[in-house]
Amino acid sequence: MKALYALYTDPDAVQRAVDGLRSAGVAEREIVVMSSEPFEEYEFSHRDSATWLHWIAGLGGVLGLTAGYWLTRTTQMLWPLKTSGMPIVSPWPNLIVIFEMTMLGAILATVVTLLITAKLPSRLPHLYDPEVTNGYILVGVQQPSADLAPRMMAALESAGQGRVKSVE
Amino acid sequence: MSRTRNNPMADDLVRPLFNTSVWFYGAALLLATIVGCGAAAWAYQLWFGIGVAGINWPVFWGFFLTNFVFWIGISHAGTLISAILRLVNARWRRPVTRCAEVITVFALMIGAMFPIIHLGRPWLFFWLAPYPSAREIWPNFRSPLVWDFFAINTYLTGSVLFLLLPMIPDFALVRDRSTGWRKRVYGMLALGWQGTTKQWHRLESGMQIMAIAIIPVAVSVHTIVSFDFSMATVPMWHSTIFGPYFVAGAIFSGIAALIIAMAVLRRALHLEAYLHPVHFENLGKLLLLMSLLWSYFVFAERITVWYGNEPSEMAVFWATQRGRYAPLYWTMVVCNFAIPFVILSLKQLRTIPGTVVASLAVVVGMWLERFLIIIPSLAHKQLPYSWGSYSPRPTEIIIMIATFAAMALFYMLFSKFVPIISIWEMKVGNQPHPAHLVETEDEGEAAGLWRARP
Amino acid sequence: MAARWGMVVDLDRCTGCEACVTACHAENNIPTVGALEASRGRAMHWLRVERYWEGDYPDVRVKFRPVLCQQCDNAPCEAVCPTYASHQNEEGLNAQVYNRCIGTRYCANACMYNVRFFNFFNPQWEKPLNLQLNPDVSVRSVGVMEKCTFCVQRIKAAKTAARAEDRELKDGEFQPACAQACPAGAMIFGDLNDHESRVARLSHSPRATKLLEDLGAEPKVTYLPRQPWHEPDTQ
Repeated sequence: MKALYALYTDPDAVQRAVDGLRSAGVAEREIVVMSSEPFEEYEFSHRDSATWLHWIAGLGGVLGLTAGYWLTRTTQMLWPLKTSGMPIVSPWPNLIVIFEMTMLGAILATVVTLLITAKLPSRLPHLYDPEVTNGYILVGVQQPSADLAPRMMAALESAGQGRVKSVE
Repeated sequence: MSRTRNNPMADDLVRPLFNTSVWFYGAALLLATIVGCGAAAWAYQLWFGIGVAGINWPVFWGFFLTNFVFWIGISHAGTLISAILRLVNARWRRPVTRCAEVITVFALMIGAMFPIIHLGRPWLFFWLAPYPSAREIWPNFRSPLVWDFFAINTYLTGSVLFLLLPMIPDFALVRDRSTGWRKRVYGMLALGWQGTTKQWHRLESGMQIMAIAIIPVAVSVHTIVSFDFSMATVPMWHSTIFGPYFVAGAIFSGIAALIIAMAVLRRALHLEAYLHPVHFENLGKLLLLMSLLWSYFVFAERITVWYGNEPSEMAVFWATQRGRYAPLYWTMVVCNFAIPFVILSLKQLRTIPGTVVASLAVVVGMWLERFLIIIPSLAHKQLPYSWGSYSPRPTEIIIMIATFAAMALFYMLFSKFVPIISIWEMKVGNQPHPAHLVETEDEGEAAGLWRARP
Repeated sequence: MAARWGMVVDLDRCTGCEACVTACHAENNIPTVGALEASRGRAMHWLRVERYWEGDYPDVRVKFRPVLCQQCDNAPCEAVCPTYASHQNEEGLNAQVYNRCIGTRYCANACMYNVRFFNFFNPQWEKPLNLQLNPDVSVRSVGVMEKCTFCVQRIKAAKTAARAEDRELKDGEFQPACAQACPAGAMIFGDLNDHESRVARLSHSPRATKLLEDLGAEPKVTYLPRQPWHEPDTQ
């Protein structure tokens, strides 16, 4: 079968299901939990690797800063026109443009990285049920191995009140 | 489409997307007509020349710049609510964040039109963009108008992304409940969102970073708009207070706009169960705080000018306090200070109608404040022989009214296609705590315990 | 050394006749906006004669002051222009490049002397006034700022002629239209870098003053205020 999963309403049941799947021998990476809201207080939400997003945002900011510095300084030196007695490369006004480009760099880097690491946009995989957006929490495995399938089904059924489904 | 057993909240918040009343079409048609009139007025101005407006020598900036600063100010609503309240984990922000973020995006778009509308040669507005052109010349980065270009574009980009990112899970919800063209469109908008824990983590980390990043951008945007004035040696413009003064005024007018928008939505979309009086009360307290802050800035600025008694500044001072602009000035003081102070200090009056009345007064008052910053100073510069005056002409008035209609129209259309309250964030607010964290003797009590979380 | 053009206006000689204003209009193709637009405050006088009245009838005194672009060294109008339409050229003139102007009008607001003017409409000249236009000066379109240029077309023409004859420019060889037209000789123009020129010597006169000097724009137009009037002794 292509996927085996169960839908629960109670997040505590989800936690039991995940633990049950682990003891049934399923690899951590293969257990998928999907929900219509994040569940930060539960352990099953924290199985992923830490995010590098903050560092990448900082890097984006540095790139923006460099771009802003280069843009203002270079273009001012290309056409050295005197205005209001200010220096040709004017640090104070340039700082403002540099600041804005720094923030823009950080923002764009954050969004692009977010989309890439969340694998968006993507097509919906076989393991998905519209009931997820209706408030159910999905716990399942994609491409379950045939010998582990019965133990997985048992783990999902014993976790709590839920509907076990499979996708062929 | 009707699997409603589990999700009455989602049903309520998604209903406007699927059910449209005849009032909607009527209102949309009326607003679109007004916007059309505004477009016609601008076309008239483009054809005949900017002289159809009321600006003259020496008052070269009038209604268009007033509206520019006003709308950019209104746009600060979303940032305060979404970003700051998110960062401090204020519980009551949840139903309010998207309403506020939408105001920001549309107010910025409308505000950003005005620097183009007010140009003498608007078809050349793109010369403010830094691009390698055949003329081989780049924008002058020493000009506050070029700072405006960078600041507003950065803020607009950031605000649009800040609005769009948390909309993705809600698009997925609408996708799963619809059929036909809706399913295709919302499916594309949802970008294939599944709601895995990894996706939620990335989204929440991203929102956290955006919230931290967007606050300095918002502060810088209205500071830079204030620099359009304070960088010139015009009497009562060349003041160091302008940066913080404008930012405070922007947040002030933004909260007022938000209260009005929320009140209208609550009535029009029947969101009484989600937008409670306590939300209006809390925003009302913030509005009172900003009113006091604004009043403090105005007092500090005016007493400094009055005490210094410098002749060119005093000419502007008396023109606003006792002279030609006095009626507008004192109306502004009543609208921005007296009315909000009375209504919002008294708990009995801090109701939904009360806060809406105060907010309407603030919107009027803050528009007058922008006008009174720009026109009296330009009309009374240092050489008295060149003093002048300004009256708006029909083109400027029609375009101004059209922008208010455009704001209402955009907002209406948005709430028709996107849930105006962020459904997944509301759900997080109602989540139960894990069983092993709840300390109680009775299992049944634990199961039924739904303590709201931040 | 490059020239540094400046002007001295002797207010003791100025009679307020406004011949300079008329000459400037004629020389620089300044549009006549018409009565209606003038009533709306759109009149464009690159050079204007300001009148200030003192006292009550019958002891009324009038002061005249021709005000034109002061060609400031620290011109506040230059930094605020987003397209570099306003900048300082090598000879110290505040150049207004009409083709780069997109009409934000920030420069006009920044100018404390209010000497910048805006084309609110495309200028029209009824026939046969169009035949009177100066071919050496461009006509500006709607949406463009303009102001006194110290008759830069005359400066260029004089420099070209001098270079063709392989000689230096002489002081007083040419003048802007206003200085040329003034019957009282109240406006003196020349190269401030030429220490022998009239304008350089007069700008160091003990009477010399500058308009709004404390605002720091460093204008290159010097005013020589009126001497106080003394009743001659009858004894």
